Amino acid sequence: MLSYRPGDTFAHRLDPRSKLLVQFGLAVAVVAHPTVPWLAGATVLGLLAAATARLSPLAVVRSYRVVLVVLALAPLLAGVTLGPPWFRVDPALRSARLVARVVPVLFVSAAYLRSTPVRETRAAVQRLVPGKAGQLLGVGTALVVRLFPVVLVDVREIRDAIRARGGERRPPWERARLLVVRSLERTLARSDRLGVALRARCFAWNPTLPPLAFARADYPVLALGLALALSPVLTRF
Amino acid sequence: MSQQHESVELVGEETVKHFTTAVLVAALTAALSQVSIPIPGPLPPFSLQPFGMFFAGLLLGPLWGGFALTLYILVGIAGVPVFSNGNAGLGYVLVGQGTGGFLVGFLVGAVVAGAIVHRGVEPRSLSSVSVPVQLTGLFAALVVVYAIGVPWLSAVTGFPLPRAAGVMAPYVPLDLLKLGIAVAIVEGGYLVRR
Repeated sequence: MLSYRPGDTFAHRLDPRSKLLVQFGLAVAVVAHPTVPWLAGATVLGLLAAATARLSPLAVVRSYRVVLVVLALAPLLAGVTLGPPWFRVDPALRSARLVARVVPVLFVSAAYLRSTPVRETRAAVQRLVPGKAGQLLGVGTALVVRLFPVVLVDVREIRDAIRARGGERRPPWERARLLVVRSLERTLARSDRLGVALRARCFAWNPTLPPLAFARADYPVLALGLALALSPVLTRF
Repeated sequence: MSQQHESVELVGEETVKHFTTAVLVAALTAALSQVSIPIPGPLPPFSLQPFGMFFAGLLLGPLWGGFALTLYILVGIAGVPVFSNGNAGLGYVLVGQGTGGFLVGFLVGAVVAGAIVHRGVEPRSLSSVSVPVQLTGLFAALVVVYAIGVPWLSAVTGFPLPRAAGVMAPYVPLDLLKLGIAVAIVEGGYLVRR
């Protein structure tokens, strides 16, 4: 899976808020205009975004291979009929056109993942959502990133322990119940310990945020993101 | 030399308790999304992801339950591979393989389940909630998940709505079974101390 890699590319230098707006804008634009010219433009933009993060298109395809295989099956499934003629071309083509618009969005998303550290996304969230809600979302995002690998190890340990005790012979729902109960117990115990740790460290409403600032290069990117997001309205005039 | 003085406003104890539970429920949802139990025969694997939504609503109520699932989605958008098959990114949530609607559905479902089970914003003790109310809350959450997820799948893949519903139909009995397991866990007394 793609992850952040430190660098000094054009994409790395952009503010995360500009990059998030372009991703959102592109998704809105391709959903609103599923036509060939828009798809071609979006694909060029997706490839450009990957290039600005010095990310090979092959690496993106490899990273999203499961998603792309599932998407490739969609036109086949859309064209199949339960009786003669067994396969209809029109619905399959329509599905292929709709599925094709997903690809450029995944490319822009991959460029974001490669060029943006989690702490910058956290800072962007905290600045975009005002007040205490934004602060809790920011701190919460950072804590979930920290705790997810720990909880995943817990869940896998419990699964292996159930297996080692002959759990494979139990019905799937019984194994699921055991796995969820034990995972919940450990997770809630961790939650209690985290609460004590936060209070011991005087968890307060006045945090210190990582610095974020728009640079000159951000303004055209912000304008592009805004134009794409508003394209369904703008193209009516 | 200048010095800065600022008073510190501590976060209240109740808020810290709900906040840490929400953080850990979000992490658990992410972990359970990576684990599934294979089932012999033609049925899809028994995914554990919906339990995150169920327990967010049951343990935390509508506000904090929704907060937990928002954290889960935000962490995925930030690039941590927390969605099924280790996927991540805003593109995956918005369009992905067409299943982004189910992720948004989990968030709305946690809010709906929490609102029905707790009848208000503040979570109450689950020992005072009857089984029919729990079942109604979790069933309503599942209805919301499919009501958002199936049209979303149809819009992304171009499937007509009935075909998109047909693609997702094998998951419905499994999700109903998970609903029963979640209520059995509550009735087994495992969450009473909450």
